[in-house]
Amino acid sequence: MKGYRDYFLKKLAWFVVTVVVAFTLNFFLPRLMPGDPVAAIVSRMAQGMSNATGVQAVYEQYTRLFATDKPMLEQYIIYIRNVLNGDFGYSISQYPRTVADVIGASVWWTIALQFPAIIVGWIVGNTLGALAAYIRKGFDKVLLPLSIFLSNMPAFGMAIVLLVIFAVDLKWFPTSGGYDYAMIPSTSWEFVWSVIVHYQLPFWSIVLITIGGQAIGMRSMAIYELNADYVKYARFLGIKDSKIIRYVFRNAMLPQITGLALSIGTMVSGALVAEIIFNYPGLGSTILTAVLGGDYPLISATTLIITFMALVAFFALEIIYGLIDPRIKAAQSE
Amino acid sequence: MAKVILEVNELTTRYITRFRESIYAVDHVSLKVEDGKSLGIAGESGCGKSTLALSLMGYYFAPLYYTSGEIIVDERHITGMDPDAVRKTILGTEISYIPQAAMNALNPTRRVINFIEDVIQAHRPQTTKREIYEMARERFELLGLPAEVLQKHPVELSGGMKQRTVIATSVILSPKVLIADEPSSALDVTSQKMVIKMVMDLMEKGIIKALVFITHELPLLYNVTDDIMVMYAGQVVERGAAQEMVFDPIHPYTKALMGSIIVPEAGLRNVKLAAIPGTPPNLKKPPSGCRFADRCKFVMPECRAASVDLRDIGAGRAYRCIIPEEDLRRLYKNEK
Repeated sequence: MKGYRDYFLKKLAWFVVTVVVAFTLNFFLPRLMPGDPVAAIVSRMAQGMSNATGVQAVYEQYTRLFATDKPMLEQYIIYIRNVLNGDFGYSISQYPRTVADVIGASVWWTIALQFPAIIVGWIVGNTLGALAAYIRKGFDKVLLPLSIFLSNMPAFGMAIVLLVIFAVDLKWFPTSGGYDYAMIPSTSWEFVWSVIVHYQLPFWSIVLITIGGQAIGMRSMAIYELNADYVKYARFLGIKDSKIIRYVFRNAMLPQITGLALSIGTMVSGALVAEIIFNYPGLGSTILTAVLGGDYPLISATTLIITFMALVAFFALEIIYGLIDPRIKAAQSE
Repeated sequence: MAKVILEVNELTTRYITRFRESIYAVDHVSLKVEDGKSLGIAGESGCGKSTLALSLMGYYFAPLYYTSGEIIVDERHITGMDPDAVRKTILGTEISYIPQAAMNALNPTRRVINFIEDVIQAHRPQTTKREIYEMARERFELLGLPAEVLQKHPVELSGGMKQRTVIATSVILSPKVLIADEPSSALDVTSQKMVIKMVMDLMEKGIIKALVFITHELPLLYNVTDDIMVMYAGQVVERGAAQEMVFDPIHPYTKALMGSIIVPEAGLRNVKLAAIPGTPPNLKKPPSGCRFADRCKFVMPECRAASVDLRDIGAGRAYRCIIPEEDLRRLYKNEK
C-alpha cells in the first residue's frame, strides 16, 4: 500500500500545482481583453447627468469598487484574498448583483441538464457498443454507421436539427428557455411541467452525441477484448460464455471510464453550445453574457469553476484508476 | 495393451475465412494416446499443429469449425455432443489445455484465485470458496508453486511464473488428457526447463493420464514424450516412437526437420544444419499429390499424380511417402 500512497501524494501535488497555475491564468487572461467594462456601467448609471465632474466622480467610485484603478498585481493579491474568503466580488455587467448570486442562479440549470444527459448517454452508448461487439451481424451493421454519424455531428448542428424538427416544424416542444417565460418560478405542477417540456430538446441533443461516441469506443474495445487470449483460454477451461462476457466488458469498460470523467469534467464548457442555441438559463449562457460584457469577475469565476471541475474529475479518475486496474496499481508500486 | 485414453479418428476441421473460403488446417488426422503415455506433435509454423490442439478439445468456435471425424476420451465420444455439455462435462475435467501465449492467458483484472473459482464453479457450482482455496493451494504446492501466487494479479507475476500458474490452473480439476500447445516456446531457457519439468511432473504425480505436447522443436520432444507425430500442411507425415523418430527418420520432411535444428544430444550434434528450402503450400488450394513435393529433394513425377496415403509399417510407425522405406534409407546414405 506504500506504493499507492506515494502515487496518491504525487498526483495530489500535481493537482495543487495545476490549480494554482489555472487560477492565475483565469485571473489575468480576461483582464488582458481590450475595452473598459467599468466605463460601460458608468455610462449606464450616468445617463442624464450633464455634470462632467459628477460623471468623473461616479467613474472613480466604480473603479475603486472593482479595484481597476490599482496595478494588476495588487488586484491579483486582493482577488486571492477575497476568493479565499469565498467572495468573488460584484458582476460588472449585471451590477449590483454579486458574482456568487449570478452563478448560483444558473449553475443548477447546467448541472441538472448536463449531468443526467452525460450519464444516460454514457450508459446507453456503452450498452449498445457492447451489444454490437457481441452480436455483430445486422445489429452492428446498423449501429456502427449510425454512431459514427451521431458522434461526428457538431453539438450546434444536432441542437439546430432537433430545434427545427421538433420545435419549429412539429411544435412538440418549445424553442427556447428553461421554462415558459410568462411564468414565475414556483413549485406548482404547471411550472414543473413547463421545465420538463423545455428540458427535452437540450437534453436529447447532448445525449445523442454522447451515445454515438461512447458506442464506437465501447464497440472497438469490446471486440479487441473478445479476441484476447484470455477469452480463448477461459473457454477451454469450460467457463460459461456469460461469465466470459462479464470479464470482457469489465476490461473494455476501463478506458470508457476516462471518457466519462472527461465529459463530466468539461460539462460546463460542453453546455455552452446547447444552452446558447436553446437560450437555456444555465452557466453556458452566463459565460456568453460575461464575455460579451467584458465582465472580468464573472469570467474569472465561471472559468474557475470549469477548470476546477475538470481538474477534480481528472484527479478522481487517476485515483480511482489506480484502485480498479491492477495493472496501473502494479506499475505505480514499482 | 494399456487402456487408450485419447483416440482420434480421421479428424478434419477447417477455418472459414471472412471471404467464405475454407482452410482445412487439420486434414484426416488420427492418433492414439494410451494411459500414462505422451505424444509429441512437431512441425513448422503453419503446419496445423496449433489448430490440431484446438480441434482436439471438441469445442469449436468461429473461425474454426468441425467437419468430420471422431474424438474419444476415455471411451466417451465427444464429437457430436451438445457444445454446452462438452463445456460442462469435458473441458477442464476430461481434457484440458495449456495455451501457446500464456503471457496473456489470464484475465489481467482478475486475481489468480478468483479465476480458479470461476473454473471450478463452472463445473461444480456447489463448491465453496473455502474448499476451492484449499484445492488450489494444495495443487499449487504439489507443483512447487507458492500459495501466495493465488492472491496475485497476473501483472504481478514473471513470465515463467505466469506460465506455471497457467499450467497449474489447467490441471486444477485433474483432467485425463492435457493438450500443451508450445508451453515453453516464449520463455527463456531456464524457465523453459522448469515448465517442461512441471509438465512431466503432472504425468509422474498422476494428475493427468495422457499428454499431447506440441512444439516446433522436434528434439525437445525426444526428452519429453514417448511417441512423436510430425505434421505437414495439415496432415500427419510420419509417426512413431520418439527414439526412432529422432534418430531414424523415414519421411524426407522429418529428416529435413531434424537437420534444420541445432541439437545438443550426443550422436546428433554433428548433423549439418540446413534450412528446408521453399515454403509450405497454400491450404486454401492444397496440391492434389504429395503436399511436400515442391520442397522435397527426392521428388519424382509420380509424387504429384495422386494423393499419398499414410503407410503403416507396424509397431506404431507410419509415414506418408510413395518411396518405400528401404529406398529412402538408401537415398539418405548416398547423400552422405
